[in-house]
Amino acid sequence: MDRQLYLDYCATTPVHAEVRAAMLKSIDEDFGNPSSMHWAGRNAMDLVAGARMDVARGLGCSPDEITFTSGATEADNLALLGVMRRHKPGKAHLITSSIEHHAILHTSAQLQQEGYQVTILPVDGHGTVDPSDVRKAIRPETVLISVMMVNNETGSIQPLAEIGQLARESGVLFHTDAVQGIGLLGVDVNLQNVDLLSLSAHKIYGPKGIGALYVRKGTNLAPLLYGGSQEKALRPGTENVPGIAGLGAAMRLASQHKTQENSRISRLRGVLIAALQERIPGTLVNGSAFVSPHVISISFPGADGEMMLLNLSKAGIAVSMGSACTSKDIEPSHVLTAMGLPRDQIEGTLRISFGYPTTDDDVASLAGILPDIWSRAKVN
Amino acid sequence: MAKYRICVIGGWCGNRLVMVAEHIAELLEKKGLDCQVKSHSVWENYNQPPVSNLILQLLPAFTEAEVGCPVINVRPFLIDIDHPQTIEKILTQIQADFALTTQS
Repeated sequence: MDRQLYLDYCATTPVHAEVRAAMLKSIDEDFGNPSSMHWAGRNAMDLVAGARMDVARGLGCSPDEITFTSGATEADNLALLGVMRRHKPGKAHLITSSIEHHAILHTSAQLQQEGYQVTILPVDGHGTVDPSDVRKAIRPETVLISVMMVNNETGSIQPLAEIGQLARESGVLFHTDAVQGIGLLGVDVNLQNVDLLSLSAHKIYGPKGIGALYVRKGTNLAPLLYGGSQEKALRPGTENVPGIAGLGAAMRLASQHKTQENSRISRLRGVLIAALQERIPGTLVNGSAFVSPHVISISFPGADGEMMLLNLSKAGIAVSMGSACTSKDIEPSHVLTAMGLPRDQIEGTLRISFGYPTTDDDVASLAGILPDIWSRAKVN
Repeated sequence: MAKYRICVIGGWCGNRLVMVAEHIAELLEKKGLDCQVKSHSVWENYNQPPVSNLILQLLPAFTEAEVGCPVINVRPFLIDIDHPQTIEKILTQIQADFALTTQS
């Protein structure tokens, strides 16, 4: 293959031309500090307000419920630490799931160290949280439930509305990390009973280093940082105006195109899975039938994922795999492990993810080259 | 006589690769087998297989035909660095090669 093919849109996405234009305008023209009272400050403040409105429209909330952050990791930290630290350690209880991003799991571990109670729910073999497990885990001292919208490794869509309903009935706050869902799926924080929602720009063709946390009106959070009064003192510090402009533009684009893109990418997903299952014996697709179509977790048991990744990369194709290197070991993905997949299946797993630039030709190229690469990566 | 060269092949996980190479070197030294043990990451260089007497692979990078020497799968070291059957396989191969060298 004589061209490069990027199929790792879950990791990050390229900045869309319209996003870039919005950011450049901000850098070149609206360079003022939004806290300044003069014209330059007011221009920048208007831009931030416009972007806040774009994000709010995408979530079905009010603009004053949006707090800009440096990304989803910070938003997740602010949600969990912010809610829990308003309560005394020892009694307050958090419920989350075993397939969350490390921004949630490691923050939960930190809370546990601080003396808070944490329940980590299991998932079924498809990587889905069962709402009845959530119901059973709720206690009188539970103050927060955090379950992601779409899993970043399998694409499994979690039953947000049901969990949100349970949380609402129990008087418990509900947070969701919607990073992988916001670009292609419908989000409505009121319909889904969500009280806090994290998102990131760079997963939806925006820039890196900017994200947001939706905080339902009346929700009391402890800030992580102290300083000025920006973002209602919940996230002090001079605003990343170009980043915010980029996030606003990216949210506008996502809202405009998500329905059409969802259907186009669903078709591409079906084509790729059918081609691979036909050409590579034993191919397994991980995750539930209820998935966000841009993520495909696919296992080639008996093959080495890293060798497939390396040979695909040499051939110009970028995907990712189901294991990660830690200081001492190759660690199987915590998500696939939680789903009960055997280690050899996890080690032969690739994550292929699609984006708006992905075409039928791209899918054909991958389906054409992967059988040879698989054959070379078999573990004897 | 040139030293018997062993190359441990690994991937992205450089720490594990170095750990395995060092562990094998120590083990062979204890057994009195005079060998040179190197490590090689396929992410750094995949085009040129290293010239060795024995290749130990943490991932299926090269075939014996490509490297012109025996290749042993040491993938079990990813879980257990003292995996007895894998160590046995390595020792058997080296001892067989040493015996051949002595005969010739």
